[in-house]
Amino acid sequence: MSEVALLLQSRSAVRAWRARPRVMIAGVLGFYALVYCLPMLVLLSWAFRGGGGVWTLANLTHLLSDETYSVVFVTTFRMAAVTTMVCTIIGYPYAYLLATAGPKARTLLAAAVMIPFWTSVLARSLAWVILLGRRGVMNDWLVSMGLIDQPIQMLFNGIGVQIGMVHVLLPFMVLPVWSILARLDVGLPMAARSLGATPLKAFLHVTLPLSMPGVTAGATLVFMLAVGFYITPALLGGPGDITIATLIDTVIRDLLDWPFGATISLTLVAIVGAIFALGATIAGGGRIAGLENHG
Amino acid sequence: MSGSRLCLWILAVLTMVFLLAPIVVIIAVSFNETSLFTFPPPHWSTRWYVSLWQSRSWREAGIFSFTLASLVALAALCLGVPAAYGLARDRFYGHKLLEGLLISPTLVPAIVLALGLYMLFSPMHLIGTALGLFLAHTLLALPIVLIIVAAACRRLDPKIELAARSCGATFAKAFCLVVLPAIRPAIISAGAFAFLTSFDEVVLNLFLGGPSTTTLPKKIWESVKFELDPTLTAVSTILITVSVGALLLSTVTRRDRSS
Repeated sequence: MSEVALLLQSRSAVRAWRARPRVMIAGVLGFYALVYCLPMLVLLSWAFRGGGGVWTLANLTHLLSDETYSVVFVTTFRMAAVTTMVCTIIGYPYAYLLATAGPKARTLLAAAVMIPFWTSVLARSLAWVILLGRRGVMNDWLVSMGLIDQPIQMLFNGIGVQIGMVHVLLPFMVLPVWSILARLDVGLPMAARSLGATPLKAFLHVTLPLSMPGVTAGATLVFMLAVGFYITPALLGGPGDITIATLIDTVIRDLLDWPFGATISLTLVAIVGAIFALGATIAGGGRIAGLENHG
Repeated sequence: MSGSRLCLWILAVLTMVFLLAPIVVIIAVSFNETSLFTFPPPHWSTRWYVSLWQSRSWREAGIFSFTLASLVALAALCLGVPAAYGLARDRFYGHKLLEGLLISPTLVPAIVLALGLYMLFSPMHLIGTALGLFLAHTLLALPIVLIIVAAACRRLDPKIELAARSCGATFAKAFCLVVLPAIRPAIISAGAFAFLTSFDEVVLNLFLGGPSTTTLPKKIWESVKFELDPTLTAVSTILITVSVGALLLSTVTRRDRSS
């Protein structure tokens, strides 16, 4: 009652109080307009620029008609798909354990995800170069244990990129799945058990379906980030592992072809946007974008 | 412990080894006495750290990285904290869309952002300048600040602020003396992660950086393309230490609050 009185007394104050937040967003909006929206518009304008300042669609038709580029797109999608699959298979049981373990075990499991999550991607990729190189740590160990006679090639041939990408993107799968499993009502699978379901059945028919939005959010996030990934493919990949991102880099910095680089970039943004839209209709956009809630 | 639980734990331990092995190995290798990357090192030494310290270019890159990241964190907090408060308090038409826009720089591929900024900054002669990097890094740090601080503002009871207002505090006074102290843990961890975002950034620096604006990650990148030098493992160890430090700072400040 007293709260209502308070609110009634200071109605004008409340109105003023409500108006202020809008002013407080203004700074960020101005900053985004200049440093985010403007560059994206510049990029857009370059994509449709032809020789002599005429507007043209030639860059786009060039990208779509040349088979060299479709190979790059296929390589990128294959890499992203494999990364997403491996992350789901490894990440789900890990997230399940995180959600159901006691506080001490949970701290340990969470630290093992959060430390790499916030560690420089460059430092981690460098570590994989040292681990997977021809004369690297892994080959040293495998040879000295007698498992292999010759060092095997793991770097610069696709395997290294795949390992490095799973390492970087695994937390993006674990965190949303953990978040949804932790909030799941533990009574639900228990009810299934009490009605005679085996633990496996209770998991398959109750827990798993209820956690699917988390899996969808994680898979969307991993796929989106994998498609646009630059550092790991550039560092661990070989000549056969050209992805969309490394192609943009080559086109801009080696070939100096700005209009074509801008066209590929916009195509990449369109692809990433489409993946997000697809994931968001299934799992909800907030679940995908709000991941950093855990940070 | 049931059989399936044991299986889960075996899988989880293997995953933990996979997640932490590269970090452990690179730290250990950085203390190697020889220039070979053997693990575990047969002889330990700190010679790569000494050579790092003695190199003027590495020292300068380190100082530049640290200064840039501090300024970026500060700017991202100054812009981001009021905005996050506004986002959490206000309910207007299309605010979900606005939130999506504000978070989206983390989802747009870094190389596309870098290219857009490169094309914008080139005619403005901002390529290779500290200002260009500062603006670009702040854009990447802002979504993180917004997410962390807005979540804290939403958990905050609006009544305490109304109480301050009804006691005669102006809006600014209530914001500074009531809201800000209440969300301090979130501000600290947002600042730490904003710092880290700038400190570890590579792709933007490759496009927007120049010889006078070399950060640690950019120098690592340039060196690794040339030759895999043991000093790189020492710099990587420093980057990892800074990350773990930021993570600890954030965890500790949050734990203080909950207890």
